[in-house]
Amino acid sequence: MKPATVARAVTIAAGAALVTACSAQPLPLGATEQSRALHGMWVVFFWSGIGVAIVIYGLIAWCVLRYRRRSSDAAFPVQFRRNSRWEIVYTAIPLLMVVGLFLITFAAERHVEAIARQQDVVVDVTGFRWSWKFDYPQLGVSVTGTPHDPPTFELPIDETTRFNVTSVDVDHSFWVPAFLFKRDAIPGLQNVFDWTPNKLGDFRGECGEFCGLDHAAMTFGLRVVSRADFAHWIAAQHRVAIVGRGAAR
Amino acid sequence: VSAAAAPPASRAQRLVRHGILSWLATTDHKRIGIVYMSSTLVFFLIAGVLALVIRAQLAQANLHLVGPHAYNAIFTLHGTAMIFLFVAPFAFGLANYLLPLQIGAPEVAFPRLNAFSLWLFLFGGMSVLAGSITATGAAASGWTSYAPLSVLKVGFGAGQDLWIIGVLLVSSSSILTAVNLIATVFIYRAPGMTMWRIPIFTWEMVATSLLILMAFPMLTAVLMMLLVDRHLGGHFFDPTLGGSAILYQHLFWFFGHPEVYVLILPYFGVITEIIAVFSRKPVFGYTGLVLATFAIAGLSMGVWAHHMFTTGAVVDPFFSAVSFLIAVPTGVKFFNWIGTMWGGQLTFPTPMLYALGFLFNFLIGGVTGVMVASPPIDFQARDSYFLVAHFHYVIGGGSLFAIFAAIYFWFPKVFGFRLDERLGKWNFWLVFVGFNATFFPMHLLGVMGMVRRIYTYPNLPGWSELNAIASAGAVVQAIGVLVFIANIYISVLKRVPAGDNPWDAYSLEWATTSPPPELNFERVPPIRSERPAFDLNHPDVAAATAR
Repeated sequence: MKPATVARAVTIAAGAALVTACSAQPLPLGATEQSRALHGMWVVFFWSGIGVAIVIYGLIAWCVLRYRRRSSDAAFPVQFRRNSRWEIVYTAIPLLMVVGLFLITFAAERHVEAIARQQDVVVDVTGFRWSWKFDYPQLGVSVTGTPHDPPTFELPIDETTRFNVTSVDVDHSFWVPAFLFKRDAIPGLQNVFDWTPNKLGDFRGECGEFCGLDHAAMTFGLRVVSRADFAHWIAAQHRVAIVGRGAAR
Repeated sequence: VSAAAAPPASRAQRLVRHGILSWLATTDHKRIGIVYMSSTLVFFLIAGVLALVIRAQLAQANLHLVGPHAYNAIFTLHGTAMIFLFVAPFAFGLANYLLPLQIGAPEVAFPRLNAFSLWLFLFGGMSVLAGSITATGAAASGWTSYAPLSVLKVGFGAGQDLWIIGVLLVSSSSILTAVNLIATVFIYRAPGMTMWRIPIFTWEMVATSLLILMAFPMLTAVLMMLLVDRHLGGHFFDPTLGGSAILYQHLFWFFGHPEVYVLILPYFGVITEIIAVFSRKPVFGYTGLVLATFAIAGLSMGVWAHHMFTTGAVVDPFFSAVSFLIAVPTGVKFFNWIGTMWGGQLTFPTPMLYALGFLFNFLIGGVTGVMVASPPIDFQARDSYFLVAHFHYVIGGGSLFAIFAAIYFWFPKVFGFRLDERLGKWNFWLVFVGFNATFFPMHLLGVMGMVRRIYTYPNLPGWSELNAIASAGAVVQAIGVLVFIANIYISVLKRVPAGDNPWDAYSLEWATTSPPPELNFERVPPIRSERPAFDLNHPDVAAATAR
């Protein structure tokens, strides 16, 4: 293969990858108040990354196309070794960029991890090998799953739910991809965060930390419903619990 | 000593000098380097076959080619072999071979210690793999082997213990190699080879060795603690008896993040040398590049908890800020490489193609690295396929591509004949296209919510399609690697002599014969710049551009 062909192929491949990256912006908006800031971060970092890639790939492509060795090149090119001015410039610009990225990161994380003074619902999440238990301590309701029958729990829309996450055996992680957020369930620790869901619907949850044999089956469902439906669901859970206790007796 | 004066060698002496014993009992740094590199390539092939099983299992939703236990063992061995038995030790092998040559030394500082390191490594690697022939199967807790999971006895039997012992041996081997390399560079340099004239690859190995000395003792310690918890009734990681589960993550990543730079710094050196030679120019910003290397190494000691942003147990902003800062010296290196090519006369033989492939892939890994250094993004990306894509772009698209570049570049020096260029180009393009087809779609899968280390997944919209592309890419990569093996086989048959300096390269190893004689140099040429071989071959250019 001639160098020119190779160079052209590299450029085309780079261009194609860039176009793919730009046209596909697959990020879900998120379905909680908190996830708006998370989505914003993905957008900022994604486009900064595209910007950096355009500059660097552009410079590399320029070198590969413009500075190919030609048959007329008998003597060596100019053997320069340094250029202090450019070295300062290309150290300072990335430094300024990461300082900026850090500042918005810091602000976004504070917003996402803010704990409301008054929460409407409390859910205690317990991970175990290999499923989840969701307790509503104020409402006296508990939902437990198995790997073959993953649990589903419900949350009222537009209300702030406090989550207390822990594990009873090994490390797990409580993750709802549509909410753009996970938090680890670690034995001996309790993690606390708030979610305020703002979209109705069924969402899929997973265990986000490898925990052994049935890690893949450690899923759960989360249904965001209206306040009235939530009250119905809680009442139904009470009935299930009473029937269950009767059956156990 | 002339040949005529030497007494005729006895049978035993001949065996030691030329037979199998000459390899088993050798303390020659070049032979140790060759054994290191070739055995790591065997581990690479094993890990690659395991990767193909993973991609076959994940090619479509709800497949059941292998069960969950086998799958867990397969990805554990794949990760362990790639990281501990291939990418890191290949660099030690390359450094073993090249470092004394590059600084004009006849040997490493401690040759017998060097042989000991090699055998620790080989037995360590075999212990890890030996787990797969135990009754309960190989280790299955991932290459990170998180406690409390890895402390469990059920499902984690003798294979897990063999894994721990094997990695302990490999870790100890790395520490001894690091001592050896640092001592060699500091005391064995030829006259004229000042520190500011040593090749960038040697500089990168100095930084790598320092990182190993700081980080690997922690790995050794944490693995010992695992053994104590598993067999001696310890409770380091058991919160119900006063231990701490999160402690394991701290200790492991205190080693684990510097390890990431142990996996990449040597290959920055490889790429730097290759780009300069095929641009026919000196390295641009040599001093800045060395300082950037040490900035990366220093910062990498303070970022371990960016692997723990979602644990809720660390100060995220601190570790995020330090992680972001690493992007600055890494960016500096990119500009060094671009500056080296700028105004040059570029040619594109296989090593240079792999170097350019490295730049292309590593930039993607770098950009996604900055993304996951931001905790709000990590809350989604952590342990998803986005992260899998990220670190494969760094270790696969980066280090692996540099390893191929290094093999094509230094093969003629080590064996005296070249690898075939036409097959080399096929090798590169297949691996390059296959690699990107495999790992680019994983970014999307991760954002869509596919978690890593699951043996199967449900048929959610788009998941099967993206996974099918990834699996097809893996097949293309495998064909590329087969072309590489064919290339070695055919080139060995053809034996096209390479000459001492086929690439018109710069550093001192190109100023001796191919392969070099027993103690490396008949005569070490004068060293008046960081490019002694170049100065020797082009005295007019050297005189005009002396630093």
